[in-house]
Amino acid sequence: MANTVNTSSKYIVDYGEPVGMIAAQSLGEPGTQMILRAFHFAGIESTIATSGLPRIVELVDARKKPETPITYVYLEGEYAKNINKAEVVLKKISEVKMSSVVRRVLENFSKGIIKLVLDTQALKANDLTPGQLSQKVAKKLDAATKVDSDGNILIKLKTKKLTEVRSISVKLMKDVVHGVEGAGKAMLQKDTKSGEFYIIAAGSNTEGIIGIEGVDKSRIYTNDVFAMYRQFGIEAARNTLVRELVTTLKEQKIRVDPRHLMIIADAMTYSGFIKGVGRHGLSGQKQSVFAKAAYEETVKHLVNAAAFSEIDNMRGVTENILVGKQIPIGTGSVHLAIKKEDMQKVKPESKHKK
Amino acid sequence: MESKTYVYLNGKVIGHIDNPQKFVAEVRAARRKGQISGEINIAHIEKLNSVNINTDRGRLRKPYIIVEGGKSKFTPELAERIKKKEINFSYLVRSGIIEYLDAEEEENALVAIDEASVTEKSTHLDFDLTSILGLSANLAPYAEHNAISRQAMSVNYMKQSEGLYATNFNQRFDSRTYVLFYPQAPLITTAPYEALDVKRHASGQNLVVALSTYYGYNMSDALVINKAAVDRGVGRSMFYKSYTDEERRYPGGQRDRFRMPPPTSEGYMGEHAYSKLSEDGIIEPEMAVDEGDVLIGKVAPPRFLEENIGASGLEERTRDDSVVLKPGENGVVDSILFTETPGATRTVKVRIRSIRIPEKGDKFASRHGQKGVVALIANPEDMPFTASGIVPDILLNPLSIPSRLTFGHLLEEIAGKASAVSGNKFDGTAFTESGRDRLSQYGEVLKSHGFDDNGNEVLYDGITGRPFKASIFTGITYYYRLYHMVSNKMQVRSRGKVQILTHQPTEGKARQGALRFGEMERDALIGYGASLLLKERMLDQSDKTTVLICRQCGGMGYYDHIKRTQICPLCGNSSLAEVEISYAFKVLLDEIRSMHIMPRVKLKE
Repeated sequence: MANTVNTSSKYIVDYGEPVGMIAAQSLGEPGTQMILRAFHFAGIESTIATSGLPRIVELVDARKKPETPITYVYLEGEYAKNINKAEVVLKKISEVKMSSVVRRVLENFSKGIIKLVLDTQALKANDLTPGQLSQKVAKKLDAATKVDSDGNILIKLKTKKLTEVRSISVKLMKDVVHGVEGAGKAMLQKDTKSGEFYIIAAGSNTEGIIGIEGVDKSRIYTNDVFAMYRQFGIEAARNTLVRELVTTLKEQKIRVDPRHLMIIADAMTYSGFIKGVGRHGLSGQKQSVFAKAAYEETVKHLVNAAAFSEIDNMRGVTENILVGKQIPIGTGSVHLAIKKEDMQKVKPESKHKK
Repeated sequence: MESKTYVYLNGKVIGHIDNPQKFVAEVRAARRKGQISGEINIAHIEKLNSVNINTDRGRLRKPYIIVEGGKSKFTPELAERIKKKEINFSYLVRSGIIEYLDAEEEENALVAIDEASVTEKSTHLDFDLTSILGLSANLAPYAEHNAISRQAMSVNYMKQSEGLYATNFNQRFDSRTYVLFYPQAPLITTAPYEALDVKRHASGQNLVVALSTYYGYNMSDALVINKAAVDRGVGRSMFYKSYTDEERRYPGGQRDRFRMPPPTSEGYMGEHAYSKLSEDGIIEPEMAVDEGDVLIGKVAPPRFLEENIGASGLEERTRDDSVVLKPGENGVVDSILFTETPGATRTVKVRIRSIRIPEKGDKFASRHGQKGVVALIANPEDMPFTASGIVPDILLNPLSIPSRLTFGHLLEEIAGKASAVSGNKFDGTAFTESGRDRLSQYGEVLKSHGFDDNGNEVLYDGITGRPFKASIFTGITYYYRLYHMVSNKMQVRSRGKVQILTHQPTEGKARQGALRFGEMERDALIGYGASLLLKERMLDQSDKTTVLICRQCGGMGYYDHIKRTQICPLCGNSSLAEVEISYAFKVLLDEIRSMHIMPRVKLKE
């Protein structure tokens, strides 16, 4: 036991160790070896997701919307075991757009009428009836709708202007008629190990999904860091960041110690909200005027500093290199507690004398 | 369905047609008859249901023999007439026997690779399989046995090789050129090589190569070469460099003058620098020169006109603008050229020559993209030798072959050996023979001369005299000497010139510069926590300066040499602190001040 403690304590980072720089180098160097937009192996999960360097950049820059959001929805109790019950949940989640249930759109500009020729098969598959759809459209557009004898929907618009009719019909096609808006197309998956069913959705509207009956609220996960932040808070966002970085690197068979990635994720989230690494995030919020000016937008920072008569306390690395001082990192982070001159005043203690 | 096919001319729709096949065939027939320009290419892209006509510039086009009805239009009679020189290539193009296809039209063509494989469906016939490769790539033998990436590299090395680039090199004043002392025609050539008669301007030498290690001196693309071979002239070349200067004219009637600069001239370099100049101020031929020697003495009018030009104007003020031999160079003055440009300005060119004997760090390459740098010039008595007493010229590390897939190198080596023992040259044109046939052919030649048919040889250790346990592949390979040489590249500096603006060391060999300690190197030291080493690099060995900072106002002061006091010009304070900062930071403060922003430095004692 004592031995274990001893060994582990050897690996504790020393005071003044430039952990941030090492973390940056540990992620930056393998980044140069990564293949830009690699081809993926067959399989549903990885085919949709961005990977490689673009994904790393996306994460580290803290983009508000990831290029390919994915949500993993796990199910509770019976729902996870019974495929029929799981499919009910799937149908509630999976986003269905108007365009996928409509076969053709006929616009009558002179009368201001849009006629939707419905795809009956697609309707059935989504448990919709023309009547329901027509009510939804009526509510949405605030217009009179009617289902004709052929089962088509007729929409009587208030306007007859050509451009307006067209823009309404285009917008209408993008409307979500079923499922959770922003959840994307969802698929049912079976976990090969535990045999439980779970759902993968190509969106990140966790707020919408979490309220659906049968969804395990404690296990829902998305690769959208900001969605995780909104749903579960900053700690979850930090863990998501780490997890996403680790998996992205693992995919490319690049081995980086996860602790470096944790440092990066910590630096991005310590303030309580997610900050990117670049000019608008971490680097832009440095204390020192010189450090900011040395990074990007030199003149802007200098002028601002002058306008508000800022003081640079010379505590960081960049500004001390600029001036030519020893940097307060590593061997530069320690100082003599007593001045040299004062040492001479101290009389040697007689402790060691016999 | 859609019956109309759109026609695009250089990417723009110009109309539509009903029968694309017929249309395309008509256009092609007209082109072959010479009714429309032969530079027009037309292609029917069925997938997109479009006909694309291209007439614009910049398309890569390749000639093919036209095949009609399963028969090549290039008949034996025509071949006979070409041999008699009655007709030429452009006649064949004009008379519709050969046509050029671009990339798009090639999509419509079915090209037979040789006469035998022409079928009813064939539309064209290729001249020869070698036309797969370009001119330069065809000059290297056994190209089909090498990885294509290596073949591409070999073409690059050929361009960098030294040889006999021009027979009138003695009359030319090229700015820098190399001429190989003993260029040899390669033992193994290709058909295009012979056809172009490249061997009259050969650029390499046939060297005895053994695929052997040598005490670790030829690890990772290093070469061991035989000192005796170097002494006999392997890779020896002459380096010519020309320096040029002219008598420029300036507005105001002033002009430069070639002459011995007077000691009064501005920037005079001291008597010894001009000691090799003759009376006219220009160096004599066959004079040995070293770095810092003046080659062309020239005076120019002073850069700035001074106010009292009339008062002291009895003696003309001059500025020394001589041409000096660059640092690290030396040689002998080879030739001098006087001439006058159309603007009637006198021009002088001085050509310096020096011998470049192969030394450690010089670069060699074979014709298979196998380059190497000399790491050791071994004494011949210490090198391995064969039973007949042959010592290899080059020891190449055997590990350079398998991972790079340059089997052509091995084939050339064994063919070169067979060629040398039998006195016959062998042909290495790509795609003419199978590798197996070639190997057995060379093997038989070697066998009939008492050598191992695999090209292996028992080598004896030159130091112990004992035979090596393994027999070693030895043969003759054509090697280029490339013009990258250490003597032109190496440079050292411990202290030296600095830039005026930043007081930081200069950059680049031409300016006696230092190596930049860049951002990533800086990051490495930060990551290591070596703060004092970092400070030494960034400050002490770079642009350290001492400035006086006012303790009161934080501005920069100066030392008044007349009053012998330090003084702050802003507040008149004479209590200033000496502070060590980087000069770049001083410049930054100056620049900020010039923007009407007052930076103040607060000091902690």
